[in-house]
Amino acid sequence: MDIRFSAEEQKFREECREWLLANVPSERRPLNAADAIAFDKEWQHRLFDAGWAGINWPTAYGGRGLSLVQQVIWLEEYAGAHAPWIGANFVGINHGGPTLILNATEEHKAYHLPRILKGEAIWCQGFSEPGAGSDLAAIRTHARIEGDELIVNGTKIWTSFAHVADWQELVVRTEAGSRRHQGLSWVICDMHAPGIEVRPIRKMSGQVEFAQVFYDDVRIPLANVVGGLGNGWKVAMSTLSFERGTGFIAEQVKLSQEIEELVASARASGAIRDDRIAGELAQMRAEVAALRAMTYRNISDVIRRGQPGPEASVIRLFSAELGQRLERMALLLAGDDILDFRYGDDTLVGEYLRGFAATIAGGTAQIQRDIIAERVLGLPKSR
Amino acid sequence: MDLSLDSQQEALVAATADWCRDNMPLEQARNRPDTLWSALQAMGWTAMTGPDVALDHATEALVFVELGRHLAPVSLMSGAVAARWTDQPGKVALALFGNAGVRVCDAEGATIALGICDGVIATFRLPPGLVASPALDPTTTLARLAQPSVRTPVDSPLPALHLQLLTAAFAAGCADAARDMASSYAALREQFERPIGWFQAIKHMCADMAVRCAVARAQISFAACALDADAPDAAFHVAAARQVAEQAAMENARANIQVHGGIGMTDEASPHLCLKRAHLLSFIAPARRSVLLGDPA
Ligand SMILES: Cc1cc2nc3c(=O)[nH]c(=O)nc-3n(C[C@H](O)[C@H](O)[C@H](O)COP(=O)(O)OP(=O)(O)OC[C@H]3O[C@@H](n4cnc5c(N)ncnc54)[C@H](O)[C@@H]3O)c2cc1C
Repeated sequence: MDIRFSAEEQKFREECREWLLANVPSERRPLNAADAIAFDKEWQHRLFDAGWAGINWPTAYGGRGLSLVQQVIWLEEYAGAHAPWIGANFVGINHGGPTLILNATEEHKAYHLPRILKGEAIWCQGFSEPGAGSDLAAIRTHARIEGDELIVNGTKIWTSFAHVADWQELVVRTEAGSRRHQGLSWVICDMHAPGIEVRPIRKMSGQVEFAQVFYDDVRIPLANVVGGLGNGWKVAMSTLSFERGTGFIAEQVKLSQEIEELVASARASGAIRDDRIAGELAQMRAEVAALRAMTYRNISDVIRRGQPGPEASVIRLFSAELGQRLERMALLLAGDDILDFRYGDDTLVGEYLRGFAATIAGGTAQIQRDIIAERVLGLPKSR
Repeated sequence: MDLSLDSQQEALVAATADWCRDNMPLEQARNRPDTLWSALQAMGWTAMTGPDVALDHATEALVFVELGRHLAPVSLMSGAVAARWTDQPGKVALALFGNAGVRVCDAEGATIALGICDGVIATFRLPPGLVASPALDPTTTLARLAQPSVRTPVDSPLPALHLQLLTAAFAAGCADAARDMASSYAALREQFERPIGWFQAIKHMCADMAVRCAVARAQISFAACALDADAPDAAFHVAAARQVAEQAAMENARANIQVHGGIGMTDEASPHLCLKRAHLLSFIAPARRSVLLGDPA
């Protein structure tokens, strides 16, 4: 065990820092949805051009072929430099791409991965449905096979960035009459295909960042099935393992930045003289340190063993709830200024309102607790 | 950077767990044989940090989590600190300096006690004829004395950090023990014709216990590595480890009693042993808020 970084990793860190210092845009991510997406894409392209996209992705597909440790170093420096939120590129970079790397054909990898890295193709995740949220195996959106095509009908909901996406990780029932985890397939769906209708949904923060998607006889080449027809559950679980296991490292790292800012602001305003505030800040600063240690432990284990295991739910749950406590503290310190919030503002109130997603999206806190109890502690399955 | 256990560490942890299970089972924590100390000595658990072995903090902390999981004597911690930073061989009692006087844990058979006084580690000679009485934590005894007039402080901040780290490790072990006790009972005990661990109210309590353990363990390893690497922020990381580990021990011990229901609060069953140990540990080398907040010194 060693927390020190090698000379090569240190040098890499300095390169990251130097580049970020010179290149992080001074303007904020625009509030208006269309401009925000253009901003996300352009920024991602710049990252790619400078060699900062897909740091641990294979070089054959446009990545740098470096280690997960270097990826984390990059994210630490990224947060420290107040670089922009990944925005619409979240799905492609954090779990779409990794799922393809693990499960897709050469042809799909060669086509999609570089486009994801360059910010040319936005991906979205079509897993949840109105009747299948926590209970993902209740998926009803289905596809029948006609020749070498799938014909999809049904609906998906809460699909983040569906309204601007080019491609989708779509999980559908490809075997008529199949139940639960059987008969599902993980398909690459072209979001521009005829028969797809996207109805954006506004969040309580005012942002329009997710949508309901309707499929009316949408034709998808059978060749777009990833990991084999009927194997959708297994592929979907690998997607979720990336989403939960390594997808939120950037957000975890950002908490280290945020707690320092909270302590500094409590010092500046004198709020720190309140014993309860000081006590909670001290506690959270210790927990944020522990979160970093868990993240390091997690990536060390992933490097040794390959994919993240169910322990990923432990980190996901802990960081989601810790992040929400930080957001509440920020609100408390801000006082009645929060009342001036306007819909769509990207302020700390906006962050607080959007932050409710942390214990809902990607598996709710309750579902994560089930997973921990059942798969880590071996308690009986409730469902 | 690598925070995974290597194969040697895994082997040492497994060997420690095996030995503890056979020779120092938690269920018998309050009726430990008088020969336990010599058995611990013979197996080398008391000399790991001494000049001959000088185990690194990272590995030492892993071993202490296992020892702590079996509610090993708290004087193993004072002994380990003494072995690393002073030339005191043999048993060293653990001193808790208070405003009114000093409480000494595990004074039997010791001539020296060690504790944190004014922020640094100090040792002092125990007066002869000391009377030890039972304590809240039945695995230890307490002797009370006035502030010793002669103390020998160790001229370095590091030994105090060492004790803080070991306390964190003992607390994490205690939290692990409570988690395991709760989850195995939850899988076994049936009500409403199913194991109580089927009910989410119980299951989720167990999950939270597992989270607290993972949080504490990760930070303990990080802090231990920070000490090993002489990192400038080692004091903060050790304090953070101490803080999250105390919380894990205390919250898990309490939850464990709840998971057990009525039997959980009996003297006969084991859950109270973890609770009482957690309360004892909370007074040993606690984290200072100013350090946790990173106050400009
Ligand atoms: C901001 C945001 C972005 C999202 N983006 C996407 C996306 O891009 N793609 C996508 O596919 N999905 C997305 N989701 C959907 C997300 O995965 C689901 O919201 C989530 O899985 C919960 O499903 P649900 O909303 O149907 O809630 P439900 O499953 O109906 O849950 C409602 C409540 O019941 C609880 N509950 C349900 N089942 C159990 C149980 N067995 N035990 C105990 N409690 C239970 C839940 O924990 C929750 O508190 C997003 C969600 C949000 C909030």
